[in-house]
Amino acid sequence: MTPDSTEDSNVRVRIGGRELSMALTEEQTLRMKALAHTVLHEPFTARPWKELAFFLLGSGLAGVGLAFVAFTMGAGVVLAVTVLGLAILALSLRSARGIGGLQRGLARAMHDPEPFLGRPGFFGWLGSRLRDRVAWRSVAYLALKVPWSILGVFVAFSLWWDAFVLLTLPLFGHGGGGSPVWGLVSNFFPAHDFNGFNGGGFTRDLAGFVLGAIFFFAAPWVMRGFVNVDRQMIRSLLGPDPMAARVRSLEQARTQTVDASAATLRRIERDLHDGTQAQLVALAMRLGMAKEKLEVDPEHVDLERVRELVDAAHRGAKEAIAELRDIARGIHPPALDIGLEGALATLAARSAVPTELSVTMQARPTPAIEAIAYFCVAELLANVAQHAQASRASIFCTQQGSWLRLVVRDDGTGGAQLTTVGSSSSGLAGLADRVHAVDGQLYLVSPPGGPTVVTVDLPLAS
Amino acid sequence: MVGALRIAIAEDSAILRDGLVQLLVDRGFTITGAVGDPVALRSSVAQNPPDVAVIDIRMPPTFTDEGLRLALELRARHEGLGILLFSQYIETRYAADLLADDAAGIGYLLKDRVADVSDFVEALERVAVGGTALDPEVVTQLLGATRRTDSLSVLTAREREVLGLMAEGRSNAAIANALVVSEGAVEKHVANIFAKLDLPVSDKDHRRVLAVLRFLES
Repeated sequence: MTPDSTEDSNVRVRIGGRELSMALTEEQTLRMKALAHTVLHEPFTARPWKELAFFLLGSGLAGVGLAFVAFTMGAGVVLAVTVLGLAILALSLRSARGIGGLQRGLARAMHDPEPFLGRPGFFGWLGSRLRDRVAWRSVAYLALKVPWSILGVFVAFSLWWDAFVLLTLPLFGHGGGGSPVWGLVSNFFPAHDFNGFNGGGFTRDLAGFVLGAIFFFAAPWVMRGFVNVDRQMIRSLLGPDPMAARVRSLEQARTQTVDASAATLRRIERDLHDGTQAQLVALAMRLGMAKEKLEVDPEHVDLERVRELVDAAHRGAKEAIAELRDIARGIHPPALDIGLEGALATLAARSAVPTELSVTMQARPTPAIEAIAYFCVAELLANVAQHAQASRASIFCTQQGSWLRLVVRDDGTGGAQLTTVGSSSSGLAGLADRVHAVDGQLYLVSPPGGPTVVTVDLPLAS
Repeated sequence: MVGALRIAIAEDSAILRDGLVQLLVDRGFTITGAVGDPVALRSSVAQNPPDVAVIDIRMPPTFTDEGLRLALELRARHEGLGILLFSQYIETRYAADLLADDAAGIGYLLKDRVADVSDFVEALERVAVGGTALDPEVVTQLLGATRRTDSLSVLTAREREVLGLMAEGRSNAAIANALVVSEGAVEKHVANIFAKLDLPVSDKDHRRVLAVLRFLES
């Protein structure tokens, strides 16, 4: 091997008549230096020792935990014909969950899985405990972790141990430890017979020291490999279950939907109470007064007053009809019966700001999606009219695969926000909730000065 | 009656408030104040005390039972003030709160009742002189919810009708008028009812109401 001295350090290696030229660029040299630096410094940083501690603590905990869980579970299964056995099994799962929590605590930086939700009553509790996915996953973790720990002790931990023994060999002259790796190594070097102290004193000590140094610098990396696999197991078995996370997000969406429909019902009740009902009471009152006026002696009927009352009642009746129509439209827009395009056309035509509409749909969404799309556009156009000071607006409604995309744009002043103010959500946040409830998305782009573009993606069928 | 009855109105719906004022002025009442929220009524009653306050139950700010709480407060503060609660719904619990200690000068009516102007005015006048005016709906709910069905089953159909009208707070004369019978016949029915249900006899109408209500609620 004769390195040429060029600007880059070139390394030429001759192997079996073929010349391999390795041109090391400056960058590669730097990288190799950095690597060497890392390897040589690693044992003197805190991390490998923390990992060692984590590994030993975790392994001990898993060993004790698995023994306990296996014993109690066994007892529970044996006694399972009685409720007592099931209760023991439930308590065993409860402790598995707890041990899983401790393991997760050791690993830190991880979200807790879904909390335990027991059903009421003893049997409800029992059933929930026995079906507790988190606990069963903790059991699975313990069952995998213990063999992995044993392997880790045999490989990674014994590297540390051997490094310690070999490096101190010249000092104390004690025998090499009987660890498996040591055994393996001594098999490869039978001539030196490290185990038996029979080799030459100095040679033996030097060879042992060099080997110990290699072990010393290699041990952190081997241990890290074991720890990383363990972390991965912790993440996938002790962390939140993706299925459970999905269920939780669906539950949230369901809560939002239930809340939203309760709020809608309340709004409708309020509209009816304050509007139509009051109108009708006033109307009945006026007609009652008019009736009384007519019931007196025909000679003395105050026709002028009666006419006024009937006139007011007539006006009230017409107003009540108009209010009822608005409320009914708020519950289910009749225009939707003829399809989304027609309904959006009505909305665009009624909008206070001149609005352009473009609809390209091949398939018809489900009624629920059509209704959400309609109310989104209605609310967005109302926002445009109220806040945006816009002169034009446009609605694009297109089908993209199995999605419906709505884009409502205006040339107003922008600055719209998707914030939730206190407990009552703003109009846009309310819309976003409604859209999320069917797995849709709402995007808002509204820089100060405008324009504002709101994009709503809805699945065609929810 | 000495002079026109003085009425204060708290009703947040402008249409209804204006309509009520019109109706009452038309009938010769004096309106001491017509306001839209509890705070305004409180000061109106303090400055210009009326004989009766007509109060909507659902008012700002929370639109729940503001009117009811205001009514209880005004009653505690102004002795002899008649209260007519006015609502689009009848909640039996509100009636129970209202009648907790006394039925004198208390009314609780559905807003619909204003359509029958003379009935409404009559109820208002009754409350003004310390009587009681409970909506037939309240009485129906009380009769429906009572656990005394065994005791009630001993009453004849006519007696039950009279019991209901008594519970509304009507006098014997008014009951006779409503059932198109003589006042003497009503007195006989009332005596029978009190005997059959083992109620304490009382000559005052509002005490009688309370006795009947207590019986139905127990």
